[in-house]
Amino acid sequence: MATRTRLARLWPLSKPSALPLIRPYHSYDHPPPPGPFNPTESSILEAAIPHIPTHGFTHTTLSIGASDAGYIAASTNLFPNGAFSLVHYHLYTQRLALAKHQHIISPPPREGEKPIGIGGKVKALTWERLMGNKEIIHRWQEALALIAQPSHLPTAISELSSLSDEIWFLSGDTSVDTSWYTKRASLSAIYAATELFMTTDKSPNFDDTRDFLDRRFKDVQIVGGTMGSVTQWAGFTATAALNVLRSKGVRI
Amino acid sequence: MALYTSSKHAKFLATGLPIYDFLAPSLLQASRASLQIRHLTKAKRYHSAAASNEKHDKSPSQPSRNPRSGADAASNPPPLKKPLTQAQRDFLTSALRVNQAGELAATLIYAAQTPPIISSHPHLRPLMKHMYDQEATHFSTFNALMAKHRIRPTAMYPLWTLAASALGWGTAIMGREAAMACTEAVETEIGGHYNGQVRVLLEMAEQMEKNGDDIGDELKDLIETIRRIRDEELEHLDHAVEHDAKQAVPHELLTGVIRAGCKGAIWVSERV
Ligand SMILES: [Fe+2]
Ligand SMILES: [Fe+2]
Repeated sequence: MATRTRLARLWPLSKPSALPLIRPYHSYDHPPPPGPFNPTESSILEAAIPHIPTHGFTHTTLSIGASDAGYIAASTNLFPNGAFSLVHYHLYTQRLALAKHQHIISPPPREGEKPIGIGGKVKALTWERLMGNKEIIHRWQEALALIAQPSHLPTAISELSSLSDEIWFLSGDTSVDTSWYTKRASLSAIYAATELFMTTDKSPNFDDTRDFLDRRFKDVQIVGGTMGSVTQWAGFTATAALNVLRSKGVRI
Repeated sequence: MALYTSSKHAKFLATGLPIYDFLAPSLLQASRASLQIRHLTKAKRYHSAAASNEKHDKSPSQPSRNPRSGADAASNPPPLKKPLTQAQRDFLTSALRVNQAGELAATLIYAAQTPPIISSHPHLRPLMKHMYDQEATHFSTFNALMAKHRIRPTAMYPLWTLAASALGWGTAIMGREAAMACTEAVETEIGGHYNGQVRVLLEMAEQMEKNGDDIGDELKDLIETIRRIRDEELEHLDHAVEHDAKQAVPHELLTGVIRAGCKGAIWVSERV
């Protein structure tokens, strides 16, 4: 019996998925599991990325990438998801690139200046991620059309939640209570809305996008603040009521 | 991985493991002596399982257990070792998640029990405080591990918060014996649960060693931490029995229901 239960425990509890996007158990002793792309795929996709501004998220870009990387153009057969692989690769590499922004993640301490808090880091990293779309933003609506296909949607949603998780983690957030969920959900919503706004932004240096993003963060602060005080108030009232009864000699 | 789950291998490991990592009911009687034994065997077992690491007596407050900042993690890439398998990572994830949920519940149970209990039995104040403090340390240990390893907390967090407070308060209202019976039931389940985890982790370590992989300090520390916490849970169980948990009426029904509840909560927290 003991053997059987233990064996059962060694089977993965979650169904093994083809795309190990959500990486459980981040180890510091052991290297991370392989990413979603093998070396050949990565080299073709990497070579294709510079052609997106001209040719978009299309099969043409993929073929050009394959020939640039030294493969025959037919190697695009490697990608059963076709042009969506370009979208996925962009999302994946841009997410991992966030860790390079060391000036935000661990800025050198400056004299007489308050160090940037977790919230500030979240905002700054979200902005950096949006700026990762700068070169391809005029093509992003093509990508959104690919993302909206039912077979691609799970991957894209999973990438979005991984992005939120990455930003909160890099910002140094360590909360592991219910707020873990609300933080990631609200950041995902803010990011998705701002990214969509950015596709139509014609202002210099994306100033309008910046304002839009700031307003979204403010909205969440107001909602989050209210929610927090309601829970606090409920807890306080319950404790106060118990204490009144206790002072009256009720043994509760 | 195939070796790892083959039943033949598991059977060998199951019989080859020393008895003291199983929760034997006879250990529960003589509390001090049994704790002594557990501590002695702990050290011995450790050195046979993990090649050598003399300065291993780490307290949970040491920096190695604190979550590393993203910066730190990014600038010091991990050494070249084999990645953990999907099954291993899944096990570690659900193990830490359920442990955090359990310690959350434990802190809340003791916090809810304390006011009614000490108002009728003031002499129990130090004991209740001692047990609460230990649970609070366990909780913060697992919180830190969750943040460090980027593990999602259980989605049932708000539900467990409510259920645990209600259980603690309800049993305390029923009296000292019922409160102690609650502790007895909860700690029996938790002790057994931690024992199960230690067994799986030791199998994992043994398997990795056999394959010539370095299991690394991270897993060694985790095994030690869970062992230490398990011993403290069993200590709580001893305290509960010393304070007439068995005199609670109806003892079997009460502990039976609470233990079934714990099992259910563990099952759910491992999955969602
Ligand atoms: Fe505990
Ligand atoms: Fe305990």
